[in-house]
Amino acid sequence: MHTILTVIKKELRDTLRDKKTLFSAIILPAIAIPLLLFGVTTMQKNLIEKENTKDLKIVLINAPETIQEELKDDHFILLDNIELSNAKDSVKEEIFDAVLEFDSNFKTQIDSLQSGKVNMYYKSTNIMVQSRLNKKLDAYKTRILDQRIQQLQISPEVVKPLVIKDVNIASAKEQIGQVVGGFIPYIFIMLCFMGCMYPALDLITGEKERGTIETLLTVPASRFHILFGKTITIALIGIIAAVVAITGMVVGLNFIGGIPATFMEVISSMVSPKFIIMLMAMLIPLSFFFAGVLSAIVVRTSSFKEAQSYVTPMSFVVIVPAIMAMMPGMELTWQTAFIPILNIALATKDIVAGTIDMMQYGAILLSLITFAVLAIYASFKEFSKEGNVLK
Amino acid sequence: MIEVQGLSKQYKLTKKQQKELQTQTQSIFAVNNISFTCQKGRVFSLLGPNGAGKTTTLRMIATILQPSSGEVLVAGKSIIKEPNEVRRKIGFLTGSTNLYDRLTPEEIVKYFADLHGMSAQEYKPRKEQLFEQLGINDFLKKRIGQLSTGMKQKVSIARSMIHNPEVVIFDEPTSGLDVITANSIIELIRSCKEEGKTVIFSSHIMSEVDLLCDDLAIISKGKLIYSDSMEAYRERSQDQSLTETFIQLVNQHQN
Repeated sequence: MHTILTVIKKELRDTLRDKKTLFSAIILPAIAIPLLLFGVTTMQKNLIEKENTKDLKIVLINAPETIQEELKDDHFILLDNIELSNAKDSVKEEIFDAVLEFDSNFKTQIDSLQSGKVNMYYKSTNIMVQSRLNKKLDAYKTRILDQRIQQLQISPEVVKPLVIKDVNIASAKEQIGQVVGGFIPYIFIMLCFMGCMYPALDLITGEKERGTIETLLTVPASRFHILFGKTITIALIGIIAAVVAITGMVVGLNFIGGIPATFMEVISSMVSPKFIIMLMAMLIPLSFFFAGVLSAIVVRTSSFKEAQSYVTPMSFVVIVPAIMAMMPGMELTWQTAFIPILNIALATKDIVAGTIDMMQYGAILLSLITFAVLAIYASFKEFSKEGNVLK
Repeated sequence: MIEVQGLSKQYKLTKKQQKELQTQTQSIFAVNNISFTCQKGRVFSLLGPNGAGKTTTLRMIATILQPSSGEVLVAGKSIIKEPNEVRRKIGFLTGSTNLYDRLTPEEIVKYFADLHGMSAQEYKPRKEQLFEQLGINDFLKKRIGQLSTGMKQKVSIARSMIHNPEVVIFDEPTSGLDVITANSIIELIRSCKEEGKTVIFSSHIMSEVDLLCDDLAIISKGKLIYSDSMEAYRERSQDQSLTETFIQLVNQHQN
């Protein structure tokens, strides 16, 4: 115990004095998510606003006057007397935004209670053009429909045979749990892994690269205790990174405007002591699992560069199960409960939604602890090999 | 005292290594059945060309590597049966070792004292004595990264000697150091001898050996080819320099 504590104390001091680790484990997670959320929401809002008020150049062919009235808007520039093929080419070259080609008999068709045909030419890459035009055409459609109902003297119900009322009985918490619950584990799993990555390189490969390991192996302390002290430090940095990330996210959300009140309510109810305890209970063995796996890998390498080339692809391996958890239909079952990373991501979704099965949660904790123990055992096996430890 | 008895270290060769060495053999001996004794209060020098097996031998004595066969007794304790007892008695220093850049000399020395299980009462006077002796007090609170090579070497010495070991093992302690810095090592070896410690060091610099050692062994290609007192070696090289004798011995063995 004395050795473990001595190693932890030294390694923590050493690691926390390292600016690179501080940045990747604490500063980056703390600011990355709020910045990302803030940046994306603001950008999206601005973009939509800009697209909605952008002047659109619309070519009209055979358009009845009523339509022209409908489209008279500050942000539509209407053009006519242009041939269809020329107009289409211009849309292609993005000189004009769209062409509305009305059938030559359009007016007669409408007046004789038939369907009037309209062709709309546009580029789907030009976002919002179609939806803005559809909106105008829909308004026109409604007007014609009202006229016809009046003209034929029928009640509006005749053309509306079904009245569907959507009643979603999923609570707001469940709905948001579905969205946020998939997103949160993805972030903290990634950041926990990144948090473990750099210290693992520094504490294990770094010791070999500097040659300090030789002296360390001549002290009368158990080699397992030395390694375990290092593993605890690595895992601890991973946990710190994840906790900082989640805190950063919650704090960040409070500063970003335009988030619906119900959403905020769910977020603040989510950050309950129960949620935090349940999340941490999974995070701790996960971090030890990462620390063990990373140590077992990097102990074979003798330089930082070599270690990085092994560890970087690992982050893709970690992302995959976290992304899988976000796929529709992916749910926590007795099978998925035993797949590390995927189980923690799925469980978080259920915890946020409040639908977690405690038996399954227990099974997840047990499997995570088992994997962590196995990973640490593997790293100790690797650490005990002479060829691995010495250059 | 260090008693090395029939010590060997055998390495299995991978296919790639076999190709590189252009050999069919499955394994090679880094150290092959060597025996010698280092007496208490005397300085023993292990000489040999590069790749002779000096470092492997010292690493086995220091319990960093496990021998394939043979035995070493360090102050009466077996490196195989009681490695932790051996570790309590040895101080190990190599010329190539670096330190933790972000810690201060005091923190590093304390770390190793703690790993050796020293109590605060044992640690404090010993640290004060060593720091005074080596002149570390001037840069006590600076981080290692800001120190010069010479200063770092002093910290390395303090770290290896903090638990006042009975036996000290130096693996090419002066390699890569300038004369002034190397001198601090030479002084350290002298003071160890005066204190009655057992000292073994490896080197390929004859002048250093001539200056310090009482007994010497020469190894080449993992085999012991000479082991005697320094006096006997000097007598042997009467009509030529010590280095010439060394070259002659190694060449004889290789032919």
